[in-house]
Amino acid sequence: VRCQLSPPQRPLQASAVLRRVSDEQKKEPLASSSQQQFDSHPTDHQPEQEPQSPRPSYTGQGGQESEDYESEEQLQHRILTAALEFVPEHGWTAEAIAEGAKTLGLSVAAAGMFHSDGSELILHFVSQCNTKLSELLEQEQKLVQLGEAEKKPTDQFLRDAVEARLRMLIPYIEKWPQALSILLLPRNIPSSLNLLTSMIDDIWHYAGDQSTDFNWYTRRAVLTGIYNTTELVMMQDSSPDFEDTWRFLENRVADAMNIGDTANQVQSTGEAVVQGLMGAAVTVSNAETSRA
Amino acid sequence: LPAGGVSLRLCSTRVALEGINKPVIDRIIRVDHAGEYGANRIYAGQMAVLGRSSVGPIIQQMWNQEKDHLKKFNELMVAYRVRPTVLLPFWNVAGFVLGAGSALLGKKGAMACTVAVEESISDHYNSQIRTLMEEDPEKYKELLQVIKQFRDDEREHHDIGLEHDAEAAPAYSVLKKAVQLGCKAAIFLSERI
Repeated sequence: VRCQLSPPQRPLQASAVLRRVSDEQKKEPLASSSQQQFDSHPTDHQPEQEPQSPRPSYTGQGGQESEDYESEEQLQHRILTAALEFVPEHGWTAEAIAEGAKTLGLSVAAAGMFHSDGSELILHFVSQCNTKLSELLEQEQKLVQLGEAEKKPTDQFLRDAVEARLRMLIPYIEKWPQALSILLLPRNIPSSLNLLTSMIDDIWHYAGDQSTDFNWYTRRAVLTGIYNTTELVMMQDSSPDFEDTWRFLENRVADAMNIGDTANQVQSTGEAVVQGLMGAAVTVSNAETSRA
Repeated sequence: LPAGGVSLRLCSTRVALEGINKPVIDRIIRVDHAGEYGANRIYAGQMAVLGRSSVGPIIQQMWNQEKDHLKKFNELMVAYRVRPTVLLPFWNVAGFVLGAGSALLGKKGAMACTVAVEESISDHYNSQIRTLMEEDPEKYKELLQVIKQFRDDEREHHDIGLEHDAEAAPAYSVLKKAVQLGCKAAIFLSERI
């Protein structure tokens, strides 16, 4: 099953995150500024686009609510994607967004659509990375199903998935600590938590997790811990190609695998102890009854 | 490259998850899974006490059917990528205690508990069937079939309970009300957390 949603749906669902974050911006200035862009630059938008999504009509006259809604979302996504190029230089800021808007032929005022601390830009980036990761894992799964690749053992799968996802941060690594602190703002926590949990769930899904008991939670909690700590290690890693980080990751994943074994050992020991006690209790009660 | 990220988790190689009402289906499968899990534990508790009595075989038979139900929901849970309720460990213990406790009141007590629980469950399945029919009977055909079949099974258990003098149990109406209240609470919680 291909993971492509039909274009009209995609922006609507995808910008659920954006919607929540930039809800305060969804007011008059937004509608009028985007309307102005469309009126003055109708031709600019058409040629640049990748062939994947049908362009919504900009001949606004009979434009219903839904058409404007779609094109706003798509426009925002395009601006944010274009803005990423300027993040290494300007950080996760309105400046980067303004530069991005400029490359699309829009006025820098378009950056006014977004919150000044760059929250939407960061969330958009995280969302994009998660999508890339899911596609990567989906493709790997297909190869395994077609018999063209070996199925990886769980620990290696998890290591590779986390490494692949963290490597997407490398171009932006200088400014990433700033992004992390913004993601932790109370306003952004619901969205960033949502993105984090769905990414972790995706990784476990493709790793073949089929647990339907409490393990579902333990596994995800453990992997979230591994991911977050590795991300933090990566922030202050200066080794060539982050090899210290990947070694740290390998050790944490190995620890996690051991937790499972240890848990089983604890349980067996516990059961043995209980049986021992029961045996002792029976012996004592037998002794009592035989004495009585 | 699609810009959306959060929505991508709807994809799966097993079931086509695009276009289904995920929140509704999520709840349905989560609560049904919890219910079958709980029912399993209730019968386990009853067997622990009454396993060697005359009603042992009957309880065992009903328990086996619940095991099949649970297995089916485990499969559906993986296919629809639904998370289990976080209260599972709690239902594990509570179910066993309810089963064992009702069985300690005697065979009729156990049957009364069965009647109460199965009545709650069949009502609950009926309202889910209504919900799915209102949504889109075609899209959810397989799920509807499963729930209808299970509802019929639970109804049968309910009738078996009545046949075995559930109503003659001590404090039958009080017991029944208490158990059904507990079931309502369990359903409410398992749908959400």
